[in-house]
Amino acid sequence: MRRPSGVFDVSYIQDMTVFRTRAQKIGMLGFIVLLLLFPLFGDEYWLVFINSLAVTIIALQGLNILAGYCGQISIGHSAFMAVGAYGSAILAAQFNLPFWLTLPCGGIGAGLVGLVFGLPSLRIKGFYLALATIAAQFIIMYIIRTPFPDITGGPIALHVPPISLAGFTLDNEIHFYYLILGMTLLMTFFTKSLMRSHIGRAFVAIRDNDIAAEAMGINLYRYKLLAFFIGCFYAGVAGSLWAAYTKVISPDDFTLMNSIWQMGMLIVGGLGSTLGPFFGGLLIKALNEICLIAGPMIDNLIPQIGAQISAALVEMVFGAVLVLFLVYLPRGLAHRWEILKDSYRLWPFSY
Amino acid sequence: MIKLAQLIMIGITVGLIYGLMAVGFVLIYKSSKIFNFAQGEMVMVGAFLSWTFLGLFHMPLVLGLPLALVITGLVGYSLERFPFRPMIGQPILAIIMITMAIAVFLRGLAILIWANYIGIQFPTVIPEKTLKIFDIPISNVLICNFFLVLVLVILLSLFFQYTRIGLHMRAAAESHILSQSMGIRVTRSIAQSWAIAAMVSTVGGFLLGYIRGIDFGLAETGLIAIAAALVGGLESFKGAIAGGIIIGLAETLTGGYIGHGLREVIPYIVMVAVLFYRPYGLFGLEEIERV
Repeated sequence: MRRPSGVFDVSYIQDMTVFRTRAQKIGMLGFIVLLLLFPLFGDEYWLVFINSLAVTIIALQGLNILAGYCGQISIGHSAFMAVGAYGSAILAAQFNLPFWLTLPCGGIGAGLVGLVFGLPSLRIKGFYLALATIAAQFIIMYIIRTPFPDITGGPIALHVPPISLAGFTLDNEIHFYYLILGMTLLMTFFTKSLMRSHIGRAFVAIRDNDIAAEAMGINLYRYKLLAFFIGCFYAGVAGSLWAAYTKVISPDDFTLMNSIWQMGMLIVGGLGSTLGPFFGGLLIKALNEICLIAGPMIDNLIPQIGAQISAALVEMVFGAVLVLFLVYLPRGLAHRWEILKDSYRLWPFSY
Repeated sequence: MIKLAQLIMIGITVGLIYGLMAVGFVLIYKSSKIFNFAQGEMVMVGAFLSWTFLGLFHMPLVLGLPLALVITGLVGYSLERFPFRPMIGQPILAIIMITMAIAVFLRGLAILIWANYIGIQFPTVIPEKTLKIFDIPISNVLICNFFLVLVLVILLSLFFQYTRIGLHMRAAAESHILSQSMGIRVTRSIAQSWAIAAMVSTVGGFLLGYIRGIDFGLAETGLIAIAAALVGGLESFKGAIAGGIIIGLAETLTGGYIGHGLREVIPYIVMVAVLFYRPYGLFGLEEIERV
C-alpha cells in the first residue's frame, strides 16, 4: 500500500493503521453520514435494493473469511444462510424469543452446522471440499424441506413473526434499512479487526499452504474449524436478517444456484479483501436489476424469443461476467481499486 | 422380490448412464486437471439440442443425433481455447468457478432458447414393450439402454487403449511437459477430450431424456454424475462406471422403498460417506502432497 506524498510511517502502529490520513477519515465519515441520511432522499425502490444488497454483503463477508482468507472453498453458503433464517424464525415462532436473541442464535446455529460440515476439511481440500459443501447444501435443504413440515413449513413457505427491538416494532423499509445498515457496519468492523489479528494471519497462512502453516505451528484442526464457524456465523446472521426482513422464507430462496452466485460475487469483487464483498455484491446485484428491467423490453421488441427472457438474461450475463473476470481480472474489482488509488496518489509521476 | 429385482435393473441402467456422464467428467479431469461442473448443463443442452433435431425438425435418428453430436463436439472443442487455456495453472477455486460460470451461462442459454417447450419427449425410436426375464417384467427400452451404454463404454475404453488420439490423451494426462517434449500437441489433446466429453454428455442426455423426459432438471443429474465420479475415484474410467452404478442403485432403491425426498439427496450422502472413509474414491489414486 502506498501512502500519499509526504506521509511517512515511522512506527509499526502507524504502518498498520486502517485510516492513516485525514482524507481517508473524512471520506469514511462522509460515506457513513451519506448512508445514514439516505432514507431522506432515496425512494422505496433504492431502499429495497440496498437492504437486500447489505444482507448479501454480510453473507459474502462470511464467505470471504472462509474462502478468501482461509482458502476453504464453500459452495453451500446459502444453505448456511437458510439454517440461520429458519433457526431464528422457528425460535421466534415456537418460543416467542425476542429478536435480539434470535439473531445471534441463528448465527451460532448456522456456525455449529458449519462446524459439522467443515469436519471433512481436515482430510480433504480443493475440489473434494467443494463437493462436500455442495453435499451440505443438498442435505441441509433436504432436512428443511422434507422431514418436519410442521416446524419448517416444508417445501412451500414459512411465515416469520414480525420483530421488535426494545419495544419498537420494525415494520417498514426505513426501519429495516437502519437495522441492516447497522449490522453491516458492525460485521465489517468485526471482519476487518479479526483479519488483522493473529487469527486472520493464521487463516492467510493456511490459505497459502496448509502444510507449511502446520509446520510453522498453526493448529490446522482448530483454525480451519474456526474459519468454518465464523464464516457460517456470518451466513446465519445474514439469514436471520433476511428472514426478519422478507417475513416469508421458503427453500427456494436458498438453492445451490444462490450459493454459486455468492461465490461468483465474491470472485468478481475480489477474494481476501475487505472491500471485495461490497464491490462484488454491488456490481452483480446492479447487473441483475438491469437485466430484470431489460428483459421485458427485449420481449416487447422480439416477442417470439423464449418465455422467460429475464431469467435467461440474468443467468447468461452473470455467467459471462464471471468467466471474463476469472480470465482477465482474477483478483477482482478490489485489486483494480487499489491500482486506481495508487495511480491517483502518484499522479502525475507514476512509475 | 419382483419389485426389488426391477428396481435393481432400473438402478443399474440409470447408474450406467450416470457412469457414462462421469466418464466424460473423468476424461476432462485426467487430461487437463479441470473439474467440469458444467457436465450437467452439457447433458441438458445436448438433450435439448438432439430433441430440436429429432422432435422439432422431425429428422430421422441416424441424421439428427449425429448432427447434435457434431455441434456439441465442436462447441466442446472450442471451449478449450476460451476460457480454459488461460486457466492452466490457476488456483483451484478459479477453475471450479469458471466451470460453474459456464454452467450458469449454458443454463441461461437453454432457458432463452427452449423455455417455451415444456413436458417434451423424444419421438419413439423403438415401441415400448414389457419383456419378461426370469419372470421379472422389464421394459425393453431399459434393456436397449443398458446394452447401448455398455457398448459405448467398451468402445470408449478401446479408443483410449488402442488409437493414436487416445494414446496422446493418456500421455497428456500423465504430464503436459513430458508429452510436449515427445511431440504431442497437448492443447489439441485437451481440446479433443473436451469434444469427446461433450459428445458423451449429449449421448447421456439423449438416453436419460428418453427415459425421463427432457427438462431443465436434467442439469442436476450432472452433479449426480460428478458425485459418481468422485465415489469411483477421479483417476479411473472403471471407477466412474462403478461409482455410477453404486449411485444409481442407491437412488432407485431409496426411491422405491423410502421416499422421493430422500432419493434426491442420497447420492450426496453416499458421496460424503465415501469422502470420509476414502477421500480419493474407491478406485482413485491418493495424492501425496509436499510443501
